[in-house]
Amino acid sequence: MPLLKNLPREDPGTPNLTGVWPFLLWIARQQWRTLALGITWGIVWMLAAAAVPVGLGRGITAISEDDMQGVVLWSSVVLVLGIVSAVSGILRHQMAVANWIGAASRIQQLVARQAADLGGDLPKQVATGEVVAVSASDVERIGSAFDVTARMAGAIVSYIAVAIVMVFVSPLLGAVVIVGVPLTALAIAPLVKPLERRESAQRARFGETTELAADTVAGLRVLRGIGGEELFLRRFNEKSGEVRQAAVGTARIRSILDALQVALPGAFLVAVTWIGAQLALTGELTVGQLVTFYGFAAFLVLPLRTVTETAHKWTSARVAARRVIAILSLERQHPDPIDPVSEPGPGDLVDGESGFRVERGHVTALVSGEPHDATAVLERLGGYVPGDVTVAGAPLADLDREVLRRRILVQDKDPIVFAGTVGEFLDVPMSGRVTASAALTSADADEIINGLPDGLASELPERGRTLSGGQRQRLALARSLVADPEFLLLDEPTSAVDAHTEIRIAQQFEGARQGLATVIVTTSPLLLDHADVVALLVDGRVVATGRHRELLRTEPRYRAVVLRDDETLAGLGGAE
Amino acid sequence: MKPPETYHSVLHQNSQLPVADPPAVRRHVAGLLKRHRGTFSAVVLLNSVAALAALVGPQVLGQIVEGVSNGLTSAEVNRLTLIFAVALIVQTIFTRWARLRAAILGEWILADLREDLIKRAVGLPLGVVERAGTGDLVSRATTDVDRLAWAVRMAVPEMTIALVTGLLVGGALILTAPPLALAWLLAAPPIVIASRWYFRRAPNAYRAETTTYTMVNAAVAETVDGGRTVEAYRLGPERVRLTDARIARWVRWERYTLWLRCRYFPAIEISYFLPTAGVLFLGGVFYAQGTVTLSQVTAAVLYTQMLVEPIDILLSWMDELQSGQASLARLVGVHEIPDPEVDWETEPASEEIEARNVRFAYREGRDVLHGVDLDVEPGTRIAIVGPSGAGKSTLGRLLAGIHGPRTGHVDMGGVALSGLPVETVRKHVALVTQEHHVFVGSLRDNVRLARPDADDDALFESLRAVDAQEWAMALPDGLDTLVGAGAHKLTPAQAQQVALARLVLADPHTLVLDEATSLLDPRAARHLERSLAAVLDGRTVVAIAHRLHTAHDADVVAVVEDGMVTEYGSHDELVAAGGAYAELWRSWTDEN
Repeated sequence: MPLLKNLPREDPGTPNLTGVWPFLLWIARQQWRTLALGITWGIVWMLAAAAVPVGLGRGITAISEDDMQGVVLWSSVVLVLGIVSAVSGILRHQMAVANWIGAASRIQQLVARQAADLGGDLPKQVATGEVVAVSASDVERIGSAFDVTARMAGAIVSYIAVAIVMVFVSPLLGAVVIVGVPLTALAIAPLVKPLERRESAQRARFGETTELAADTVAGLRVLRGIGGEELFLRRFNEKSGEVRQAAVGTARIRSILDALQVALPGAFLVAVTWIGAQLALTGELTVGQLVTFYGFAAFLVLPLRTVTETAHKWTSARVAARRVIAILSLERQHPDPIDPVSEPGPGDLVDGESGFRVERGHVTALVSGEPHDATAVLERLGGYVPGDVTVAGAPLADLDREVLRRRILVQDKDPIVFAGTVGEFLDVPMSGRVTASAALTSADADEIINGLPDGLASELPERGRTLSGGQRQRLALARSLVADPEFLLLDEPTSAVDAHTEIRIAQQFEGARQGLATVIVTTSPLLLDHADVVALLVDGRVVATGRHRELLRTEPRYRAVVLRDDETLAGLGGAE
Repeated sequence: MKPPETYHSVLHQNSQLPVADPPAVRRHVAGLLKRHRGTFSAVVLLNSVAALAALVGPQVLGQIVEGVSNGLTSAEVNRLTLIFAVALIVQTIFTRWARLRAAILGEWILADLREDLIKRAVGLPLGVVERAGTGDLVSRATTDVDRLAWAVRMAVPEMTIALVTGLLVGGALILTAPPLALAWLLAAPPIVIASRWYFRRAPNAYRAETTTYTMVNAAVAETVDGGRTVEAYRLGPERVRLTDARIARWVRWERYTLWLRCRYFPAIEISYFLPTAGVLFLGGVFYAQGTVTLSQVTAAVLYTQMLVEPIDILLSWMDELQSGQASLARLVGVHEIPDPEVDWETEPASEEIEARNVRFAYREGRDVLHGVDLDVEPGTRIAIVGPSGAGKSTLGRLLAGIHGPRTGHVDMGGVALSGLPVETVRKHVALVTQEHHVFVGSLRDNVRLARPDADDDALFESLRAVDAQEWAMALPDGLDTLVGAGAHKLTPAQAQQVALARLVLADPHTLVLDEATSLLDPRAARHLERSLAAVLDGRTVVAIAHRLHTAHDADVVAVVEDGMVTEYGSHDELVAAGGAYAELWRSWTDEN
């Protein structure tokens, strides 16, 4: 089966984002072959199914006329129609699957590329949940709209064909069926809509028990360790009971719908039987034709249902497409320079606003009583927030983004760990100067790897949940050391690491940063003691620089922040 | 065609909790049906009436077809049509009742399943929860319950109805025209053979397909969520490559399931047409012989077509039922977790905890504690310090009675802690870890776990003890403010304060704090510890800490290295002794 073999595509293409229909049309054009084939097979399939009542009716007529040849002929026709319907049905299905997967995977690829391209800018502009909703459900909605299209074509053609046959045989009964079937469908629709609305409102409540169950179980350690099981069990049972009652309310509505689905087409069938029988009595209709009409009336429910389904799916596909377009049209908040400067040579990184200077070959520590202030400096130095920053004298804003990210790396307070093996985690674009094993040793993370069941090949879950905060920090540090940027800016890299390990990291990690510039935002004396330069930030400005021990002696504000000595604080009258 | 990879590589669930075997699942289902046997019989009965009424239509049409050539009058046609109409009304009414009862049955069973599960979950031994983690349990309480909801809501009623309808239609066919029913013998073997082939492969294949599809979404979600990291480490191309690789993997499963359907669907559909054509042909033969009437042939043709739908429904829900069964096995498995033998009678004679020659391993043959001795005198404050991975947290769990030692003993007042039920242990000793869970609900419910009857004064008292009163009062609805996921979000530091406030309210005489203030900024942490100390005056506190000021403030410091207590004494003693602790302290404070 060559179908689906070319997926995913090398390049998902450039979509037309000017509107919902242009976008959907663009997708349709990309896969017009499978669409066209799907429509063709869809028509053959539905026509074969539509023709079955004819074969049955003619067969009954042949039986009533003792025409044995006719019996053989028409029962063979029914069998052949069955085979044609089965074969064209599966071919149509293949195309339908190809259409939906083709559309869905293409959009997934587009969204993934957009996310990778915008990086940190995307979560700033839309909630992660929104993008996830697009990739999880909107993509499916658009895919299934393409899936239903082939059946829709078959439905229309078969309906027209059946209508022509019926009018030809009996204009009266033909007219009754042609008008009656859509009418019963339309009669259900206004009843269905409000019922379905109420139903979906009540169904939404089911999620509440799931959430409560997840919440209760996730907090099981607390409940068992301290108590409160009864409280939470009672709470859960109450919610579960409420939801059960709401669900029974939903079922009440659903059962009315089910009954209507029986009653309305049934009433129509009764009418067809009655009119048909009267016509048969007068000889206007053979008994076989009566059976055929009975069969048609039952069959036509299918194409009608397909039409309603198509309308429904295309409506939600339009809404979905609007959301996909919204994500795909997002652009960077701060556009790249139009005319980027060529790479500036080696030099210092300077933040004009705070007066903080990062020198090559040094480990510079940035100390602040207010953690936000220090983070703000890093945001500017990393070019995430515009500011008066220069690298080797050139304004940072004029730098090409690729160059910027290669030379300056900011390690966030809570670095994200992606799902994958530890080896993959450490496999980031790198200079090649620092090996993974050297980085792990420098970050004192060898012991973590040894403790994992498969070493570097061990799988980490999303966000590295199985690791402790300190372990995550050490692995993140190793990753940054492997990346080996010219300027490495670390925001509290060891805040969750114990003192013993922190001291080892302080002693070891400088080796990997030889000749390059490193900034550590920290208040830990263990790290500060190993820094070449320490800068104290007060109210967003660097007010003092020097060595750790020197500042401890000369700068009371520094002493207050670093030793967190309440007595010192009291002596300063609360100054921070 | 072969599956693109082994099922195991996609669907591996390394679950530490038991999964029930098929007989146990069957027993459980039988038990559930027994609980609701009244409703279940009603469903079958109501549905039988509805299905019987549906059989009238083809009979009426058969009579008409037969009568047209035998002088049927217009009045008789009216009478027959009236019967058809009455049968339709009966069918409509009973369909409604049957569907409603079936749905109510489904909802009751679902509610029972989820309530039973949570009831069992909140009674699990703490050691089991600690070892297995809560992740597996959460996925059983959510994913498996959801999957079952789908099966119970849709598959069970649909299949019950289809089964009843199918049996009745089949019965009607045999009664109407026994020789013509033989035509179904043509269809039975291919349907059975094709279905057996398909259902041996389909359920796992579809599960693999869904799983790999979820992985595509997970990759995109991670890229967005970690956008800053992606940008900082220039991982963009790598993330795109990963997403494409996952799409490729998912599409390979889609191709495989498509291939399964490409063989199964045509086989089944042709099988449905075999009896239709067969009835027509046999009808002609037997009619010519005079064995059957035209009305019998007509009704038999229509019954044959009517029989296709219930069979199709039964087959199409089969895989749903199979995946429901797998989920059910995981739910029933939770009920099979044994409760350890505990002593409900004995109460510890004193508050003193004594650990002697304690060894402990999470995995066989890999001890994390190598003979620890520690006495926790009532009213003292002990700080446990040491490098990560040295066994500090494990020691804390043993002192809190969560795990029992492999060798040696951890006793409180002469009674082994691990032999007591959680309910007894937590009256005496409680553990607070870094893991801070804020329950969805009011702040009040979150704090008063141990004392559901506590009044507001007591609640505020406990919040004040952990420096949390100020922000708690500032919340929009005070203690009634809804917190937790989806409501007012507490910062990690606030969550940790809530955890400690619970403990203050629970008021056990011994507290084990495992990095319980690590998420607060250092200065706030020290302040909190001091105000906590004032409230806990006279209580025994074992504090596991990586910040040295906690050790400085304690009465006794125990240094744990490589699963052993290597230094023990007051802060001043240890500094004076000049060991590893002293060295650490010096570099911290730079006092030299």
